[in-house]
This record gives sequence, structure tokens and C-alpha cells, in this order.
Amino acid sequence: MPNESPYQRMLQECLRGELRVLNAHLPFEQKLLSDLLGEEYPNVVCNDGSTHLFKRKELEYLASMLDTDEQEALLLPMLIEVNPGQGEVAVICRGKAEEKVISKILDMPVTTKQERIMLYKPQLALIRKPLKTTTQYLFTPKSPD
Amino acid sequence: MLEFLQIARETAQARRGLLDEFSEAYKALSIAVGYQGYIALEKELIATERDLEIVTGSRNVAGARVPSFELKGVERAIRGYNLVDTSSWLDQTAQRAEKCLEAVVMLAELQSGLELLGREINRTKRITNALEYLIIPSLQATIKYLYMKFEERDREEKSRLKRVKVLLEQR
Repeated sequence: MPNESPYQRMLQECLRGELRVLNAHLPFEQKLLSDLLGEEYPNVVCNDGSTHLFKRKELEYLASMLDTDEQEALLLPMLIEVNPGQGEVAVICRGKAEEKVISKILDMPVTTKQERIMLYKPQLALIRKPLKTTTQYLFTPKSPD
Repeated sequence: MLEFLQIARETAQARRGLLDEFSEAYKALSIAVGYQGYIALEKELIATERDLEIVTGSRNVAGARVPSFELKGVERAIRGYNLVDTSSWLDQTAQRAEKCLEAVVMLAELQSGLELLGREINRTKRITNALEYLIIPSLQATIKYLYMKFEERDREEKSRLKRVKVLLEQR
């Protein structure tokens, strides 16, 4: 923004750096469920160079919920967007497969708005319990309104 | 914090489950021993030993790296003992023991995760406390001191200028 003071610019730069560190664990690129099922040790490489290993049981659990086309569309790990607001988190959803998985686990219909499924924090616990390695947190500074 | 509480709940649940599984497995084993006798059972089980494969990795929970373990191929249809000479209690024992192994690995993962997350939360709490009670107040005090100093200098400058003006007027 042109009217920003140097102090605000510096503060934003610091925050940007902190967020980069906080999100260093995010995958360099997501992989399709169908590809991961074919790997002996399913994993993705993260931005910080580390490897994130998927549990085969979780992949098989996801595969049991989806048909072949959806397995070829579901990108893993699924990203859960967490922002400073207290009430809600959002699952980033690029297709119908994510929506189907979330609605099946929660046992209720969910709606996608601006490529995001909004969830309350108690619902997040229900999602994270069966999908520990197939979901990852993404920290953002502002709420996705 | 939410994750920590969830892992704590799961750990307690897994521990209870493990104890139940072990007690069931020992119950089935003692009945199997009662049917066949200790020596005969030991003879049957001598050929059933095998190596287990555990896949280890890590996952990241809000900046903390938590280990992840997975036991591979623990359940088998043929376990290596003679099915004709042994009772079904031995099958039950084997099944229970396999479940125990899975439960042990799961509990190990949960417990180490809980410990690491707890340590990370404590560390973060220490940092936030230091920021809240030490660093931010000291920075605020420095800002206040500098602000007062600048004001003082400003006042001095003004009075000096006034004095110079008076002197110039007197000449």
C-alpha cells in the first residue's frame, strides 16, 4: 500500500517472515491419493526439506470412501487453514472429493464457499482423529471472508 | 493446544485398550496352555517367530515434529503352527497378541507425540511470558524514556532560541 509508514512496512515484513517459518512444514507439492496408494512408502517432501510420511491405513480409509475418479482427484495432504480468529477453521477444497470425505467423516452435509469448507474447532478434532497424517495445518494471518 | 488435548485423550484411551487387549490375550493363552500343556505349546510355537517391520516417519503439528509409527503386515492367515494339533484358543491368543502389538506401537506414537507437544507448548508459553512480562514492558519503558528525552531537548532548544532572540533584540 502506498500510504504505509516505514514502521508498518517493517512490521509486515517481520510477520511475513514469521509466517514463512511457521508454514515451512507445508508440502512442496501435493500428491494424488491414487499415486500415493501405489507407493511403497507414501510420502511428500516439505518446503523445509523434510519428508512427511503418510500412514497406509489412512490412505486406505480415504480410498474406501471414494470411487476411482475421486481418488484420482484428491490431493494430499489436505490443508486446514487456521487463522487468528477463535471460532472457525477452513479446509481448502479444490474439488468434490474433499467435500465428500469431510461430509462422510462428520456425517453431515458440508458446503464449499470460495474453495473452502468452514468447520468449527470441535469438528476439526473429529477430522484430525482419523486423518492425522493426511491433513496438515496452514497458518494464515487473516480470516477467509 | 487443541491437538495436545486430543492426543492426551487418545493416549488415555489407547492405554486402557492396550491393558484390555493384554488381559484378553493372557486369558486366551492360559486356556490354550491348559488344553495342550506348556511343553507341547512351546514346541508348536517355536517355528512361528518372525521379524516385524515398523515404518517410521514424522509429521508436523504446528511446528513440532511428532513421530509416526506404522506396523506393517502384522496379521497373517497362516501363522506357522500346526492347525490340526492346536486348539482354537491358540488362534485367539495369536489374534489378540497381534492386536496387542498394534496397540503398543500406537501407544508409543501417541505418548511420544504427547511428550513432544507438551514440551513445545511449555517452550512457547515461556517465550510468550518473557515477551509479555519482560521484553515488551522494557521496550515500552525505553520508548517512554526516549520520548521524554526528546521532549526535554525540544524544550531546551525553544528556550535557547528565545534567549538568543532576546540577546539579539538587546543589541
